[in-house]
Amino acid sequence: MSKPTDLVQGTVDLLILKTVAIEPMHGWAIAQRIRQLSKDVLQVGQSALYPALHKLEQQGWIEAEWKMSDSNRRAKYYSLTRAGRRALAKETNQWERLSAAISMIVRTA
Amino acid sequence: MPHPLSQLRLRMRSLLHRAEVDQELDEEIQYHLQRQIDEGLAKGITAEEARRAALHTMGAITQNKEECRDMRRLNWIEHSMQDLRYGARALRGNWTFSIVAVLALALGIGSNTAMFSVAYGMLLKPLPYADADHLAVVYMSYFPRDFRFGTMSVRDYLTWKGDNRAFEDPSLFRTLRMDIAGNAGVPEQVQGASVTAGFFSTLGVRPLIGRTFAAGEDTPGSSSMAVLSESIWRRRFGASPGVLGQTILVNGDPSVIVGVMRESLRFPRLDTEIWTNLPLNPPTRYGPWYYRGVARMKPGVTLQAAQAELNNIAQRIMQQNPYYKRLTFPVLSLREALLGTSVKLALIVLMGAVGLVLLIAVVNVANLMLARATVREREMALRLSLGASRGRLVRQLLTESVLLAVMGGVAGLAFAWGGVALIRAWNPGNLPFIDSVRLDWASLGFMILVSVSTGVMFGLVPAFKSAHADLNTTSKEGGRASTVGPARGRTRAVLVISEIATSLLLLVGAGLLLRSFANLQGVTGGFSTPPRRILTVLISPENAKYHDELAGIELYHEILRKARNLPGVEMAALTDSLPPDRQGDADTFEMEGQHLAPGEMNPVVSVIATTSGLFRTLGVPLVKGRYFTEHDNQDSQPVAIVSEGFARRFFPNQEVLGKRIMHSGPNSGEPWMEIVGVVGNVKYLGLTVDTDPAYYMPFGQAYYSRMFLVVRSSGDAAHLAGLLRQEVQSIDRGVTLAQIGTMEQALILSVSQPRFDTILLALFAGIALVLAAVGIYGLISYSVAQRTHEMGVRMALGAGQADIVRMVVRQGVLLAIVGVGLGLGGAFALTHFLRTMLFGIDAKDPLTFAAAPLGMMVVVLLATSVPALRATRVSPLVALRK
Repeated sequence: MSKPTDLVQGTVDLLILKTVAIEPMHGWAIAQRIRQLSKDVLQVGQSALYPALHKLEQQGWIEAEWKMSDSNRRAKYYSLTRAGRRALAKETNQWERLSAAISMIVRTA
Repeated sequence: MPHPLSQLRLRMRSLLHRAEVDQELDEEIQYHLQRQIDEGLAKGITAEEARRAALHTMGAITQNKEECRDMRRLNWIEHSMQDLRYGARALRGNWTFSIVAVLALALGIGSNTAMFSVAYGMLLKPLPYADADHLAVVYMSYFPRDFRFGTMSVRDYLTWKGDNRAFEDPSLFRTLRMDIAGNAGVPEQVQGASVTAGFFSTLGVRPLIGRTFAAGEDTPGSSSMAVLSESIWRRRFGASPGVLGQTILVNGDPSVIVGVMRESLRFPRLDTEIWTNLPLNPPTRYGPWYYRGVARMKPGVTLQAAQAELNNIAQRIMQQNPYYKRLTFPVLSLREALLGTSVKLALIVLMGAVGLVLLIAVVNVANLMLARATVREREMALRLSLGASRGRLVRQLLTESVLLAVMGGVAGLAFAWGGVALIRAWNPGNLPFIDSVRLDWASLGFMILVSVSTGVMFGLVPAFKSAHADLNTTSKEGGRASTVGPARGRTRAVLVISEIATSLLLLVGAGLLLRSFANLQGVTGGFSTPPRRILTVLISPENAKYHDELAGIELYHEILRKARNLPGVEMAALTDSLPPDRQGDADTFEMEGQHLAPGEMNPVVSVIATTSGLFRTLGVPLVKGRYFTEHDNQDSQPVAIVSEGFARRFFPNQEVLGKRIMHSGPNSGEPWMEIVGVVGNVKYLGLTVDTDPAYYMPFGQAYYSRMFLVVRSSGDAAHLAGLLRQEVQSIDRGVTLAQIGTMEQALILSVSQPRFDTILLALFAGIALVLAAVGIYGLISYSVAQRTHEMGVRMALGAGQADIVRMVVRQGVLLAIVGVGLGLGGAFALTHFLRTMLFGIDAKDPLTFAAAPLGMMVVVLLATSVPALRATRVSPLVALRK
């Protein structure tokens, strides 16, 4: 029940899609990548991460495959599907409009 | 959603390979954990600390997995199974609750399923005619006869047919009893119909073998032909195809069999077994009024449009014939014509009533659920605090209630099965379509639909209330029995009030029908001999020689003589009409010296031919003058006896004795008859029909070859039937005996529809009353149980037992008063729908409107007194210690 209050569900989805768009990645790596790319600002805890991954898989936006990881253990790698790519484009577009709108308000006010 | 197929694959995998998927999930989380630990180790802390830190940051692992499962929708079905198991356990855990709830639901759903099966069989099952929705039956109604669904004459039919635009070629038919004989076999009487050539093609039915009537076979002078029903074909002809072309006697008339009709054709009556062609002879005078029309509406024509056109035609006929006043041609759809308008209304009323019963049952169970919800508040609070989501709890509670409802439905199916069997077994013989009433797939579907929706109905509110229990207060209340929150107490009170109001509504309706039925039972039919001592049988001599008056009268005298000699027989007589509803003939008559306006026609009344003994046999009082005697025959002066109603209507304030009337009217060639007596009114048109004026002619002067033999026995007359049959057939084996039965049976049969309605509505009201009583008992005992502590305090402070009883009873009575008030209001608004079903009382009958609330109050008092008395047995010490 401890969802990050500063990250809305949709945003987590977007971050995940964006991250796995680069290359197939397992859950841990996705969380690490998000942290690094945001310079430690955004931390996606596993309690939000895994439900989101399973939901996206169920939706058909990402697909999973078991592969050997760099640490030489079996890990579940997620990659973007074609539908996921379309969804990512749409979500990105929407996010940009939204954030631009919000910053406009925040700056002028 | 992008990949329905791959999604399905994933979902199936989640479902079917659950263990594997779970294990993968475990492994995935485990991997994450391991990486976390690795990271800790890399920072240089100990393995133990790294593990603890990792576990800490990972949060509640189990819950997380649960969420992942949710995301996969994996849980949906699995949870349902869990809910079912849990629900079953919860229901097992509380036997009394479950049994009471299932019983209440079984009564409600069962009676609804049974009633649905009856209504479906009668109202909705498709008729076996091509495009049956476009078929209509056309009647005629006019003053002074004023039968709403009366018959027309051939001349009216020809006028209608000439002006018709709304229908395809209309057909005409007449129903009558037909004696069939010839080709060996015992002569028998069956229901027949005489129909015009287009009759079968109008209905769109094809014969099993042979043909139906061809165009032109209804013109004057057409030879006699017959179409047999499948039943008669099997019974009398061993289903032989050689039957075609054979000749049988139909009412003594040799007729060639041209075809055999399928069993599914049941028109004009459900029991019609033979159809003959009806030659449309040009009418020489107005009448006789024997006929009704059946026709197929042209495409796009509605029943209303057809009715409008017929209204115009009626206007035109009235302008041509001033005799007809208020002439209309009422049109009914074929189904309604077969069913009868009163049956449809009754079924709708009964469906409504049984729906209310279900409502009460649902309210009852909702009430029980609410009570239980209070008890289970802590259970729910505990599950909430352990991490169950509220939605999950609501679903779980709903599953429980739907499970309960389905159990009720299954038990109800047993009730319904018994109910339908009972209705079919107890069918007095003249309820239409009753043999197409059965529990079938439609009933089963109805039961399932009703069960599930009731389950949701009575489960939803309690489920939401429980699931939104306030964690803090509930947990804090600890072990101490809590008092009902005011809101929930109010909900339950409102439910009980609505139960009382609804049952009162049903009680008033049942009361009205019961009173009406009692009135109906009180109607005598106009004769005083006890009905069980009267045996009647319709006699039709098949041999054409009896069409001759002399031979016929001789035969009947012999029959009378033999009948009078039977042991126990006191009197015997002949008549062509019998109460309560077997009118023989109605025709015009002329009064000597009357003046008719130009074009005006003579009035039409019932005409009855009878032997001298009829009035004494039945016990019809002589008002003045004399009865017929043996000497009123062809050689003597023609005489007539009239009914009181006849004398009052046609000879008001005059001496009726000595006046002369003529059968049929001018130019009929009939002699003038002198009125020699006035007798009491007898009902020939059904018990509920106001007295129809009638006159009687002596059998010796008005011979008719088909007569009812009426026998009065010193005791029960039923056992005479066999003897009578033997005696009559010993005179002539070709004499048909039909409709043998006591007057008592005839009376019962004539009120079978109202009895059916009354018994069912009374039954429904009874069930409703019991359910309401259970409801109020449940509420009061619950609130007594909740207030044990308070009662203890009161008693410790000196309240007597009487005070406690008064306090508890007052609560119940208050609810009852509000409920009764609302119910009375509803009854006032609704009982007028019953108006046409009532006989001899007003739809606002004061007695019923007073007695029903009184009865309701008594039931409420009884239901309250048990928990009230229990309350007095509370020991203050025990109550306070709790």
